[in-house]
Formats: sequence, structure tokens, C-alpha cells
Amino acid sequence: MLEVTGLTKYYGELLAVDDVSFHIDEGDFVTLLGPSGCGKTTLLHMIAGLREPTEGQVKLRGEDVTDLAPEDRNIGMAFQSTALFPHMTVRENIAYGLRMHGYDAEERDTQVQEFLELVDLPDHGDHHPDELSGGQQQRVSLARALAYEPDILLLDEPLTGLDRVLREEMREWLMTLQRELGVTSLYVTHDQEDALSMSDKVIVLDDGQKQQAASPERIYEQPANEFVATFVGKSTRFDGTLRSVDDRPIVETDETRIVVGTNDRATNHDDGEAVSLFVRPEDVDVEPATATADGGTTTTAGAASAAPTAAATVENAFPGTVEKIANLGNRTEVTVALESGETALANTARFPNIAVGDEVTVTFDSESVVVV
Amino acid sequence: MSVVVERSPVPRWLTERISNRHLVAIGVGWVTFFFVFPILFLVVESLNFGSGGLFDAYRRATGGVYLNAFARSFVYGFVTTVVTLAFAYVLAYYLVFASDRVRLLLTLVVVPLWIAYIIRYFGLLLFFSPTGPLGQVGLEIDILFTSTAVVVGLANAYLPFAVLPIYNSLNAIHHETIDASRALGAGQLRTIYEVVVPLSTPGIVAAGVIVFILATGSFLGPAVLGGPEQSMIANEIARTFLEAYNIQLASALAVIYTVLLVAFIAAFNAVFDLQEALGNL
Repeated sequence: MLEVTGLTKYYGELLAVDDVSFHIDEGDFVTLLGPSGCGKTTLLHMIAGLREPTEGQVKLRGEDVTDLAPEDRNIGMAFQSTALFPHMTVRENIAYGLRMHGYDAEERDTQVQEFLELVDLPDHGDHHPDELSGGQQQRVSLARALAYEPDILLLDEPLTGLDRVLREEMREWLMTLQRELGVTSLYVTHDQEDALSMSDKVIVLDDGQKQQAASPERIYEQPANEFVATFVGKSTRFDGTLRSVDDRPIVETDETRIVVGTNDRATNHDDGEAVSLFVRPEDVDVEPATATADGGTTTTAGAASAAPTAAATVENAFPGTVEKIANLGNRTEVTVALESGETALANTARFPNIAVGDEVTVTFDSESVVVV
Repeated sequence: MSVVVERSPVPRWLTERISNRHLVAIGVGWVTFFFVFPILFLVVESLNFGSGGLFDAYRRATGGVYLNAFARSFVYGFVTTVVTLAFAYVLAYYLVFASDRVRLLLTLVVVPLWIAYIIRYFGLLLFFSPTGPLGQVGLEIDILFTSTAVVVGLANAYLPFAVLPIYNSLNAIHHETIDASRALGAGQLRTIYEVVVPLSTPGIVAAGVIVFILATGSFLGPAVLGGPEQSMIANEIARTFLEAYNIQLASALAVIYTVLLVAFIAAFNAVFDLQEALGNL
């Protein structure tokens, strides 16, 4: 559907987008995720035709559109600023694209009304954009971008700038709309929640380069590299060297050793290679140190896990001191300063029976370790 | 215990803390004293309290040579405004959308304002004269002392007043609005016509009003670059007053001109909201 090959953009000496290739299948919702300044907006603008690539090719429905002006590409686009025309009514805004695509007056009227209803603003056609709320404006902007049934919908951070509640609502709504219309969509954002919750595929971009392109689950569970692992979600991190002991992979850091799983989150590395390990907070348990000190006969089960927590059966257990306990509403995030020097993050039940300053043991399953 | 009310010789409004009311009083006082009173005085001066009719001067002021001068002033004013807006719009558009040396170029636009009008018109006069640089290389442009020369001179003189408001309103257009128009299928020219121009209307209106007022009341431009056939109303008022020393007639001409101009602006205001346009300056 959309095929991007070797797209590169220099601004003078500055390399903004560096040889990025990917494709989007018909009807998919794909997210370009990256920090600000990573080149994702430039990439989107090149796909839209608003910027000329230094090198590379953009193909839309099999047709090479690299040298076509934006108006000749049959794209729909929504912007962070909504970019609605302030001198036109909502109706005129939506009709604009229809006019440019050669719909006659009658078709325009029906199409505009249909899309006003689709975005839940049936009675707002004669308002001016500045009379609408931020969320409503963004819905109009989407109606405007979709009314003439473009081949692809390009979204440039349309939800950034909306408050949290509205943002989640709009996410939900946008997903429904996209599925309903089946329109192929490319969504640019720096917000990992947007990316993970909405997409069929996420393309992580940093420093102008593609870091990983995969399903949201895979991006989170199996980040391809250090950047993806740290940018998407939080983790406990260890840096060390990969070794094989008794045919089991372990990683030695300066202070300690971590047993690593044998699943594909950990393979593809050679013995003696310097690696980084990441463990997600939901895979980490924290228990008061007393529980493990007496040989693991009793546990006070202070942490969330219902799994057996006796120290003897857990391969990876590390002593530390609780540094911070943050109540995040539906869960509690505990930060532990490990004796080996690292900082561990763990999600626990809402009211863990530990306090800041407590000596604790941090445990996690070897299979939950990601090696990059 | 009795309360002694002390009467200060200094009035109370002078001893109060300085408030906005005082600041307004200074401005309003200045305008009243130096602008409103003199204009009203012109009205008095224009009336004939001797023998003959009260409005004798007005009868003369609305005939013959003066009528031509009035008409010429508004025609020149209008043509100058159109020419100036066209140039100013292109220049401002370039500054906003194409130039990466905006500050330098904006300065260059404003610099001519540092130079006295008489010098600039005089420069144009020499430039266009048969012995000027154009004449030297055989490119004789024979426009001196014609309407063309006057309009060229005026448009040149008032260009900065038009560029600045148009620049401001173009600069206020969000870039994504233009991108959106392109993505929605409108070409470059269509986008200018459908989006950029409508959104810069306040700047165009403000620039137009300013240039029109300045150009219509021009004195030096027609005096230096025009001939007797290019005499505008300001020239006629000056001549009547300074050469013929007919204060009554000159005052009547001044009053008529002022009323016409105000009526013109009022009519314009009925179509465009000037308050909004000028508020954006």
C-alpha cells in the first residue's frame, strides 16, 4: 500500500532522516514513534510531499509518487495544530478537500453531512473552528482529511496537546473510526502509550534511523536494541558480559551475575559479548529481606506476586534498599537501590507492606530478561 | 474631639496617585488642543461672515480647478494604493515564506523612512531626467511630470507602510494551514487564493487604508514629480494659502477634503471591520 525505500533527508549538513525503509499494508494502522527531533515529522512530510527527500522513494498503491506535489497524491492529513481554516465554517472546511478533488456541490453536501455525523458533530457545520473545543476541532480536522476518501491518512501528533482524559477518549474514538473506514493510517507520535495502544505496527525512530519495526507487543516484549528498550516502557537495567555456565547463559556485571532465559528474548548474542539486560517492572518482585534471610521457609509475600518466592527456587535475587515508593493509582512503583549498584523498578500491589529505607530482596524470572 | 478639615490650596486631582485617568487626560488633552481645536478653527475660518453668503468660499472650492484637484487626489490615492499593495504583498510574501534573511530585508524595507521625502522624490526626479543614468544609456523613460511619475513616486514612498502590516498578517498564518491545504488537494496558486489571501485580509485592509490616506493627502510627490496638470488637493490648499493668501478659501478646501476623506474611510469601515484590521498592526 505504502512503500518507503531508503528515504533520506539532509538539511544542509544535518542528516534528519537516514535511509529509512518500511511498508504499510492496506488498512493497517502504523505508528512512527520517536522522541522529538528524531526525524519522524520530516519523514511524514516527505511521504506527504510537503518536503522533498534528498534520496529515496515513496510508492503509494504501487505508483512512484516521490516527485509528485502533495495535491497530486490523494492523501489525507491531520495536524497537531488541527490546521483548520479559521476563515471557513466547519462545513466549508470539510468541503474544501471535496472541492479540490472534483466532487460536485450535491455530492459535497451529502459527503460533508455524512462525515459530520461520523465525527459526532452533526449540528456544528455552521460553526467556525474557534467556536469548538480542542477535541471537537481535532475531530473536524479528521473529517476534513477523510471526507474525500484518500488512499492513506497521515496523522502528525493529532492528540498531543489534548488533556489526558480527552486524549484517551480520542484514542479510542480514532481507533474505532479507523477500523470502521478501513483507511490505511500512518500516525506520528512521541507518546508510547498512543503507539502501543493503537497500532498494528510500530516503527521506532531515533536520530533519523529506524530502530525497530514490529507489533506493539513485540516492541515492548522484545526490543531490538538499547534505544527501544529504554524509550518504550521502563526497565531495570544491567550492563555486563554474556557467559555460558553449565550450559546456561548468564551475564556477569562488575558486582553480580544474572541468569538469563533461553527464549528468543535472550538469544542472538555470542559468549563474551558486552550486553545490556532489561527487566520490565511488572516482571520484578520485591519482598522484605527477612523473608529470604531465614532460608526461605516463610515469606511475608509483601509483593504483588502470587508465585512461589522462596529464595532457593529463584535464580535471580538481589538485595537492596527501597529508595522510593510511588503510588500510581492502579499500581505502586517501587524503586530499589541494589547493592550491586543498579536501580531496580518493580510494580507491586497498591499497598505493599514495605517502606522507604527497608532492606528488601528483588527477584525476577530468568525468562523475563531481555538481552540486547 | 473636633475634626479639623484642612483645605489644601492644591486641587485634589493633582495630589492623587497617578492613575490611568491621568494618563488618558494627557493624551486626550494633547489631541484636543493641537488637533481638534485647530481643525475646528479651520471651519470657522472657512465661513464668510462679511458681505455675501456664509458659504461663499465653499461655492468656489467646489468648482473648476479645485474640483479637478479633489478628483485627482482620490484617483491618485486609489491607483497608488492598488500599485503599492501589489508590490507590498509580493515583497511581504517573499519575506515570510521564502527568505531566510528576514531581519536584514525588513530593515532594508524600513530604511527609506529615515530619509526625508523631499530627498527621495528629488532622487527619483534626477533618476528619471533625460540627463540621468537611464538617459545616459539611451533608455529614456519619458515619464517625468506625468501622472505615472507621481504614482511611481508615491507608491515608492509609501511602500514600507504597506509591507509591515501585510508582513505581520502573513507571518501570523500557521504554516500547517498551508500544508493542510496542499494535502487536501489544492495547488500552490489555489492555496494562495483560497487560504493565504483570505487570512491576510486584515493586513491588506490596514495597509490599504494607511496608504490611501497618505497618498491622497500627498503634497511633495506631485510638487516634485508632477507638472501643473498633476496638482493634488494639498498642492491647491498650499497655493491658495501661501501664494494667493486666501485663508477662507484654503480653509474651505481643507474642510471639504477632511470631510470627504472621513466619509470615505467610514464607507470603507462599513464593508471591512477596520478596528479589527488596524488592531492587528
